Amino acid sequence: MAGTSILPFGAMTRLAWRNLWRNHRRTLIMLLAISVGVWAMIFMTAMMRGMVDQMVEDGIDALPGQVQVHHPNYRDDPSIENSMPEPLRQFFQELEQSAATGWTRRVRVPAMISSERDSRGVTLLGVEPAGEIALGFDPGSIVQGRFLESETDKGLVIGEKLLDRLETDLGKRVVIMSQDPENNIADRGFRIVGVYKAKLSSLEETYVYAGLGTTQSLLSLDGMISEIAITGRDYRNVDDLLEQVSTAAGNSLETLPWMELDSYLGLMLGVMDGFVLVWIIVIFLALSFGLVNTLMMAVFERVREIGLMQALGMKPSAILYQILLESLLLLLLGLILGNTLAIASILPIQDGIDISMVAEGMEMMGASSMLYPALKTKDLLLANVVVIVLGIITSLLPAWRASQYRPVEAIAKT
Amino acid sequence: MRFVPALVFSFLISPLAAQEPDAQELVRLAMEHWRGLTSYSNMTMTIHRPDWERSMTMRSWSKGDKQSLVRVVEPKKDAGNGTLLNDNNMWTYTPKINRIIKVPSSMMSQSWMGSDFSNKDISKSTDIIDQYDHELTSREEHNGHVFYTITSIPHEDAAVVWGKEVLTVRDDYVLMEQQFWDQDGEMVKSLETLEVEKMGGRAVAKVMRMGKVNTPGEWTQLTANTIEFDLELPENLFTLSNLRNPRQ
Repeated sequence: MAGTSILPFGAMTRLAWRNLWRNHRRTLIMLLAISVGVWAMIFMTAMMRGMVDQMVEDGIDALPGQVQVHHPNYRDDPSIENSMPEPLRQFFQELEQSAATGWTRRVRVPAMISSERDSRGVTLLGVEPAGEIALGFDPGSIVQGRFLESETDKGLVIGEKLLDRLETDLGKRVVIMSQDPENNIADRGFRIVGVYKAKLSSLEETYVYAGLGTTQSLLSLDGMISEIAITGRDYRNVDDLLEQVSTAAGNSLETLPWMELDSYLGLMLGVMDGFVLVWIIVIFLALSFGLVNTLMMAVFERVREIGLMQALGMKPSAILYQILLESLLLLLLGLILGNTLAIASILPIQDGIDISMVAEGMEMMGASSMLYPALKTKDLLLANVVVIVLGIITSLLPAWRASQYRPVEAIAKT
Repeated sequence: MRFVPALVFSFLISPLAAQEPDAQELVRLAMEHWRGLTSYSNMTMTIHRPDWERSMTMRSWSKGDKQSLVRVVEPKKDAGNGTLLNDNNMWTYTPKINRIIKVPSSMMSQSWMGSDFSNKDISKSTDIIDQYDHELTSREEHNGHVFYTITSIPHEDAAVVWGKEVLTVRDDYVLMEQQFWDQDGEMVKSLETLEVEKMGGRAVAKVMRMGKVNTPGEWTQLTANTIEFDLELPENLFTLSNLRNPRQ
């Protein structure tokens, strides 16, 4: 009867467990390999995820906003001619009802900033200070002076790097030059009231903040703005927000989510999922050779024993189960160790690690100098499932070979 | 021409009438004296660098403080290059590429024709009258002339990077020196009058030199060969079509 030829599960497990520890040194080495592999999968994935999340979040803060509304031609030609009239109160009332948590109006035009010593091309941002802070401008990044206080603030806030380049200082006057919609030169002196430090120094050199009202009067842009930036709760899911904002804004304006405003950022997030899978599989491949080899050896040194068991009436399928169970136990042990190791090494650095030694290189790809690992259940599960499923599949080969011995030959083997 | 007597009159009386002339008035008169109601001049610009030097001769017309036209006549390779200023806008024309280019705000602080003058120096030279607060700081007398020194501090929102400008005006309204100081109280560059001569019926700066303080070997000198004031200028002089197709 079939029932008698396959031992009860408990007995099978006990047998597999004992077999596993017959050569404990070999098993320990394999266990170590699996746990280090699993640790690498989880730990490195969390690091990469953290880096990408950081990049995306910083990118969204710099855009700013998860959704932006522009004149339809603004993105092709971000000049002053493609400004749009400030929306009516109704638009903001509709935003109030929507999933939006914050919004701000901005004027954004190319400009020249000059001091006595130098002049540079910058992007002049006319902002509502409160809205700007709500959308991601960190008031803590002001290293000298203050941020703008109102829309009609007459001061200017510039980046630390730009301050150096212009050889000027807090409290000194600089001149901002740009063009009004009729292409006439619009210029004005501004006193630097604040200096900010951005995570990326390229931003420090690009963005110059002035009050929205002050900028509008400088550029003769009464009641006109360049963009409205809107932020919601979760940047990964902006569909609802996008839908609501574009209904409120109407067809004559262009409403786009951050993934399209900065397609590099959108791409990063998409590519990351694929990259994690490839990374896990590559590590597993390296691991699988060791696993197959170990099991092969375990089978070879037990050829006589396997022959004997078969001669005593154990079916080939039971032998197969036996070997697979051994491999499963080995994998499970490795996974437990690996997961524990990974979580134990991620927890202490939850608050971020300083990688400013290599910060300059990282900045080139838009990452900042603090790295916050991001451990995701999804990635944790993926690593475990890949190891178990592929592990069992690779152990099929030695297990299947073990089940195919002919008892007479196997017993006779020395 | 009917303004001439009035102008000459104001010339004669104002230094005498006011012992302590108003600083702002002094600056305004100096600027008007230099430009007149209308003016025509032929001048040579010499750009000097430690290792080379070049000169070009040009003709220039001006009307009021908003309009002027400059055209290069020599050397041959630059001949025809023109700059037109009309109401704070600036255009340049290069015959070699047969194109008029409107100087955008981004180029305003670049050098004008490779000289030590920036486009802004050229186009905004008379802004000093009302974008600054003027104060008479000293009054000296030598060689029979009174020299007034005026310190001009730009208004808070004036489009001026300088901390202050120091002007020296002679009692016959010849601008003798214009110094540009940064906001730390250091002089950055200056425009000096080296020679004064009577031309076009009034004493004017014949030789002027613009140079930066920290590069003494580099300067640009403007030498006026002839100047005429208050002449009749055709209506179409300060137009884009005239910039491209000269009619003088």
